[in-house]
Amino acid sequence: MKARKRLIATAILTLSFGVSLRSALAQAQVNDKQHGTVIGNAIMYVSPDLNSAKVARPSRGRDTWLMGQSSIDGKEWAHIMVTMSQNTFSAPRTVTGWTDARLVITSATPNGDQIIFGEAVQAEHEADNGVKDADQEAMRLYYRIYEYFPDSPLAAESLWHAADYQWQLEKSGVFARPSAREISPDARQEIDEETMHKLIKKFPRTKWADLAAYDLLDNKICGSWKGETRCPEKEADLYEHYAHEHPQSPKAAEALYKAAWRQAALVDMYKGKERDKGEKAKRRAMDIAQEISAKYPEGDWKPRAAQLVFALQQGLEVTTESERQSGKQN
Amino acid sequence: MKVSLLAAIVTFLALIGSASAAERATIVRSSGLFASPAQSAEKLMTVERGTGLTIQDKRDVDNEPWVKVSVSVLGNTQNEPAREVTGWLPAKPVVSASTQNADQIVYGEAVDSERQAEQRGGRKGAADDAMRLYYQVGQLFPNSPLAAESLWRSADIRWQLARSSRKPLEDQYLREVISKFPNTKWADQAAFDLVDSQLCGDWNGLPDCPAKEAEAYERYAREHPQSPKFGAAIFNAASRLGTVADMYRMSNQKEKAAAAHNQAMALAKEVAGNAAMGEWSYRATTLIYKLQQNIPLYGVPDEGP
Repeated sequence: MKARKRLIATAILTLSFGVSLRSALAQAQVNDKQHGTVIGNAIMYVSPDLNSAKVARPSRGRDTWLMGQSSIDGKEWAHIMVTMSQNTFSAPRTVTGWTDARLVITSATPNGDQIIFGEAVQAEHEADNGVKDADQEAMRLYYRIYEYFPDSPLAAESLWHAADYQWQLEKSGVFARPSAREISPDARQEIDEETMHKLIKKFPRTKWADLAAYDLLDNKICGSWKGETRCPEKEADLYEHYAHEHPQSPKAAEALYKAAWRQAALVDMYKGKERDKGEKAKRRAMDIAQEISAKYPEGDWKPRAAQLVFALQQGLEVTTESERQSGKQN
Repeated sequence: MKVSLLAAIVTFLALIGSASAAERATIVRSSGLFASPAQSAEKLMTVERGTGLTIQDKRDVDNEPWVKVSVSVLGNTQNEPAREVTGWLPAKPVVSASTQNADQIVYGEAVDSERQAEQRGGRKGAADDAMRLYYQVGQLFPNSPLAAESLWRSADIRWQLARSSRKPLEDQYLREVISKFPNTKWADQAAFDLVDSQLCGDWNGLPDCPAKEAEAYERYAREHPQSPKFGAAIFNAASRLGTVADMYRMSNQKEKAAAAHNQAMALAKEVAGNAAMGEWSYRATTLIYKLQQNIPLYGVPDEGP
């Protein structure tokens, strides 16, 4: 309703300057659908002229506001304002300039959500092949879909991809620091949960919310076990609880396997010390492995559970000392 | 006459006996191979996960089970023949056809090794372990529901390892998947890997290579319409033809550029909007947009419209 009122107001205002109703409505539509991003190697110029000074090179996924368009010699130019980040110490700045209109995708572009999504997948492939900053671009592209195409069928998945990228980037930094070698998760910096919580709130009871909840467990696991049995015990509980809370999650079987693996690690840790506790952990690991076989017969987790059961039955160690130290494997 | 017949029967039964005693197996933990069944005995070699074994004897020593096995060890060079090494292994990590859920155990260990290989700081040699373990599932349990997938995963790991280390690509393992499990999605995927051997590597700015690669991908797609790689093949063909169009445009061959452009569009439209194609559907939609807008796919990007 608000949008419609704004469109009519813009149309009347434009008419008063002697422009036809049709172009006024078109202009109003541009104003209403002006946000988006760039999908290629865009270069911004001071004016719509290749010979004018270059202002910036906004990377894919940057938040872009389409302020106007101009056709010069049959070529389409877009007048855009882009939010650019500078460095760790400086706040983002906005840059205004002219660029190739073909590279600007807004919510008014037909199939705009799919075009940006395809570009994000492309950026992900580039990141996998070692292209610098392609992961950041993928993250931003996905976020723009959620931001500017909230009703798209791709919105939830896109927000998940963006949130997960941000999470994994931050996680690799947090777990690389010395504080991550402490037992308590409180000893290290918490990975920012805001976007994950936003996803769970906006798209509850979806597989994307389930995946977000799984990522959040990273903030609760021990940095290093340091031979302390309370760590695998606590982590096994966390993962088992997750699997039972989110039985439809694509990560449910993996969570159960992680719980079983930690119980099996406890068997190794109790070996030669507390036999009763070791036996209890072994039974628990076997029960959880059985649950995996029964509930998730498809995919890799059933064979992995069978392999874990075999290792327990034969008394084979399931972990190496370094794995027990880090507590991060499997 | 009777004596010779009896001797033949005895020999035949002995052969059956030795054949059944010689059980094939593999191992799911690396272990030393010893000259006699004791950890203190002379260590002959280390047997890695997924090594093919032939069990010759079994024995319990101090309540610990041991197996006498022969292992085939490849020569150091291609011309040096393989040799058999016989020795004793602790029996606990050895999995044979008589082990319950043996196929799943070996497959599970293979998956575990594959994950290790993908982890930063994962176990050294884990990718090779995974490759051997998967291969053993296909060899030891050919009737397992996991056999085809295992053989494919093993062949694919071998192929990817050769590609990443720029070693010559040996296609015999991928062809084994195709011949043993024809008309399966695993055979389709093996055939997709084989397209790699038809790729140029460096295009040198000329349209011949991407055009040839586009042909190879499209041929694959037409021959394997049910393949999980159909979308990837069509997209790869379309994007290469888009590149060919750019190359012809840059050399002012307008007709050829237009033809390649139209072919690329037609191919991309086969995949775009088809949810069954997953991510390839969206990548094709983006490609169509770029082709429609004449956004360059190859070379130095235009500095403006």
